Amino acid sequence: MSNPATRVTPVVRPSTGLIPAGVPGSGGGFWRSRWMQVAGLALVFVVGLLLPYLGTNSFTVSLTSTILIAAILASSVNFLVGEGGMASLGHGAIAGAAAYGAGWASKQGWDVGMQVVVALAVTLVVSFVYAVLSMRTSGIYFLMVTLAVGMLIFGLASKYSTVTNGDTGISNVARPEFLSEYWTYYYFVFGAFVVATAVLWVVRQSPFGASLRGIRDSESRMRSLGYSVAWYKVGAFMISGVIAGLAGLLSVWHTHFVSPTSTGVERSVLLIVMVILGGIGTTMGPLIGATVVILIENVLSSYVDRWQLILGLVFILVILFARAGVAGSIAKLVRRIRRRRGSAPPGGPSGPEDAAEAVLSNHPA
Amino acid sequence: MLIAQQVINGLAFGATLFLLASGLTLVFGLMRIVNMAHGAFYMLGGYIGIVVSALSGNLLVGLIAAIAAVAVLAFIVEVGLLRFVRGQELPEVLLTIGVTFVVADICLWIFGGDPQQLPAAVRPQGSFTIGDFTYPWYGIFVIGVAAVIGIALAVVQTRTRVGAIVRAGVDDRETIQAMGINIRWVFTGMFVVGAALAAIGGTIGAGRQPILQGVQNEVLLYALVVIIIGGLGSIAGAAVGSVVIGLIDVFAKTYIPELSYFTVFLPMALVLVIRPQGLFGKAA
Repeated sequence: MSNPATRVTPVVRPSTGLIPAGVPGSGGGFWRSRWMQVAGLALVFVVGLLLPYLGTNSFTVSLTSTILIAAILASSVNFLVGEGGMASLGHGAIAGAAAYGAGWASKQGWDVGMQVVVALAVTLVVSFVYAVLSMRTSGIYFLMVTLAVGMLIFGLASKYSTVTNGDTGISNVARPEFLSEYWTYYYFVFGAFVVATAVLWVVRQSPFGASLRGIRDSESRMRSLGYSVAWYKVGAFMISGVIAGLAGLLSVWHTHFVSPTSTGVERSVLLIVMVILGGIGTTMGPLIGATVVILIENVLSSYVDRWQLILGLVFILVILFARAGVAGSIAKLVRRIRRRRGSAPPGGPSGPEDAAEAVLSNHPA
Repeated sequence: MLIAQQVINGLAFGATLFLLASGLTLVFGLMRIVNMAHGAFYMLGGYIGIVVSALSGNLLVGLIAAIAAVAVLAFIVEVGLLRFVRGQELPEVLLTIGVTFVVADICLWIFGGDPQQLPAAVRPQGSFTIGDFTYPWYGIFVIGVAAVIGIALAVVQTRTRVGAIVRAGVDDRETIQAMGINIRWVFTGMFVVGAALAAIGGTIGAGRQPILQGVQNEVLLYALVVIIIGGLGSIAGAAVGSVVIGLIDVFAKTYIPELSYFTVFLPMALVLVIRPQGLFGKAA
C-alpha cells in the first residue's frame, strides 16, 4: 500500500478518537436521536409481528421472509464492514456453505436436528478458513481474499458433484414439521432476525465492539496499544460468519433447495449493495437495503426488464451522492433539522453516517 | 499426444488470460484500483468484436471497433465517475461493481442472452499436423497475439518516455506531479489502455470461448487469480501467472473435473498466505 501522504487528493476528515463520536452510548446528547431509533425499531417490530394479519396473502408473507433472511445476511456483512472496516465479498458463500451442510445432511436421510448440527459445523469451519486467510489483510486485499475463498466454495459446490450434486443442486430439503406452514415459518424467520439484530447490537456496544472500531480507524495505533489485531479480526469474522450461516440455514429451509448460484459472487455483491444502500453501520440499514434489493429483484423485475440496470445506477448514485445510505441519510437529515431549531448542541456527537464515512473514505493506514 | 494438445490448449487459454490480466494489473499498479468492471469490458469487447467482424467479414475491423468502443466507455467511466472518488479505495471498487451491473445489462439488452462466438469465417482457418497430432491454427494465433502484445507492453514500459512516466507514477506520485506531469491524465490513459486490452482479449477469446451473460464474472475472477499469483502491478507476473493458471485449469478440467475450480483457487490462497505480494510483486 502506498503511503497515504502520496495520495493525489487526500480527503480531509476530522480525526476521530478510538471510539468515534456518534457511536451509540458514547455521547451525552445522543439519547434524543436514540429515541427516534427506538421508535423506528418498535414500528418495524410491530409491523413485522402483525404482518400475516394485515390482509396479506401467502406470497407477500413469503416474500417478506425472503427479505428478512437477506437482511440477516446483510447484517452479518454490515457488522464486519461497519465495525471492523472489512468489506467482504464472500458472505454469500458462507451462507451457501451452511445451506449445503443442511442439504447434504438431508440427502443422507438425517433428521432436522442433524441438519442444524452439520450446517453449524460447516459454518464454523468455513468461517474459520476465511478468518485465518484474511486476518492479516485489510481494505482492498481483504475484499480480494474473501472473494477468492468465496469462489473456492462456489467451485466446490458446482463441480464436486458426489457431495453437492453439482449444478442441479440439492432439493427437497425438509424443514422442521412445526414450521411447515408459510406463516409459522415467517414467525420463525422474524424471530431469528430479531435475535440476530439484538446479538449484533450487543456486540457492537461491548468493549469488543469498541476495540473493533479502533482497529477500523487505526490498526497501527491499536497494535501499539497492545491489541492483537489479527485475532480481534478473527473473532469478528467468526461472529459475522455464524450469523451468515444462520441466514443460509433459513434460506434452504425457506426454498427447500440449494444450488451453486446461492454461493456465487453475484450474491455477495448484492449483499454489499444492500449494506451500502441501507447505510453502513446502522442497525436498520441491512433491513432497508435488503427490502430495496429484494423488491427490485423479485417485484420490479416482473414489470421492467432492465432491473439490473436500475440496480446498478441506483448503486452508483448512492456511492457518489449518499454514502450514508438510506438510514444514515435520514439520521443526518433529522440532526440537521434539529440543529437548525437549536435543540442540539453545535458540534455535538454525530450519527451513523460516520461509520460510512470512516469506512468508505478511510485511507489505508 | 493428448498431453501435447492440452499443453497448447492451456497456453492458448493462458494467452487470453494474459490479455485480460495485463490490463487489470497495469491499472492496479498505477492507480491502486481493482477494476471490477474489467470483466464487463471484456464482455462488451467480445460482443462488439463478434458483431462487427461478422458484418465486415474481417477480424481486424471487428477488433478495432471493439477497442474503440470499449476505450470510449472506459474514458467515460474514468473521467465521469472514478475521478470523483480518487484515492478512496472502497468507493472506487464499488463504483466499478456498479458499472459492471449496468454494462452487463445493456449487453443483455442489445445482444440478447444466447452465447455468441466469433464466426468461423473470420478466424484464421485450418489446422496443422505433426505425426498423428492435429491442432487448429487459431490456438497458435491467440498465443501469438498475446506474445506480441506482451512484448510490446514490456518494451513500452522499459524503453519509452511514456513508460518511464508510468513507472515513476507507480513509485512516487507526488514527485512526478512536482516535475510537471499531469498525473490525472496519465491515470485516464492507463485506464483506457487497460480496458482496450480487455476488449482485445474479449474479441480474440470469443473465438475459443463463447461470450454470454455471466462470462464477465468468470473472466474477472480468473484475471484476479492471475494477478494475485503474479504480483499486483507486474507484467511479468501476469505473464507467468496466466501460463500457470491456463495450464492448471486445462489439465484439472481433464483429469480431476470435480475439483477443477478448486485447483485454480488453491494456488492463489497459498500465495496469499505464504507470499502475499505475489511471485513478482514488490513488498507492500
